[in-house]
Amino acid sequence: MRTIAIAAAALALAACHEIPQDAVKPYAGKEDTKAYAGDTFKGDKMAYEKALDQRAQFQNDYAATREAGKSK
Amino acid sequence: MARMKFICDAERCIECNGCATACKNEHEVPWGVNRRRLVTINDGVPGERSISVACMHCTDAPCMAVCPVDCFYRTEDSIVLHDKDLCIGCGYCFYACPFGAPQFPQAGAFGLRGKMDKCTFCAGGPEENHSVEEFRKYGRNRIAEGKLPACAEMCSTKALIAGDSAVIAKIYKTRVTTRGNGEALWGWKMAYGGSEKVSDNLGGKA
Repeated sequence: MRTIAIAAAALALAACHEIPQDAVKPYAGKEDTKAYAGDTFKGDKMAYEKALDQRAQFQNDYAATREAGKSK
Repeated sequence: MARMKFICDAERCIECNGCATACKNEHEVPWGVNRRRLVTINDGVPGERSISVACMHCTDAPCMAVCPVDCFYRTEDSIVLHDKDLCIGCGYCFYACPFGAPQFPQAGAFGLRGKMDKCTFCAGGPEENHSVEEFRKYGRNRIAEGKLPACAEMCSTKALIAGDSAVIAKIYKTRVTTRGNGEALWGWKMAYGGSEKVSDNLGGKA
């Protein structure tokens, strides 16, 4: 009886896992070089991500002028 | 790992076309191809709104799904790019794209369709970074220089912002909540009206 209950629970839980929704589409073209592989970052991924993050912050004009949400 | 996206703030966009001009200039985009353009709703009517539209680098990109030659790929930063050497100019991606991003240059005297061209998020394409070939086919690779797309960086009102989705969503949220109405300007109620609860609204799913 116990074995059947465990087997039933295992079967029921088997439906709970997440099935990937998007099938991986093959890419038939040429391999692209990594954005950080060039002379600027010399393969340093961390430096590349940091540079882009810093650059993105320049778009935050609230941070550039005053602390967000507070008047001068 | 970043997920690169654009956001256009309709409250700030003044329809100056600076983004479209910056894009054209940066990549020397040929006549008739518009990688980025402005869409205005209720033009000339008080309360008109404009947004700048280009490839949105979809997470589940329909262009990628329909391409018969599988010339699309996604970079580590979730930027959707394609290989022009493989593209046959069939136009399926144009039909699939909800933003009208894929563009087709005229390739002959009889309206022959050339290889598809679209916004690259200023990340070039499958050629060596900063090579002549890359520039000729896909335009300048600013991302490899640690820079963001020219359209967003040139935007005078900072209506168009680009970068990692988590970072730019934070910038946008700060902006929206500082405009004067605080948290009320953020979320379902502001966007669609009615109750804050999704299930209370018409067509909403719990």
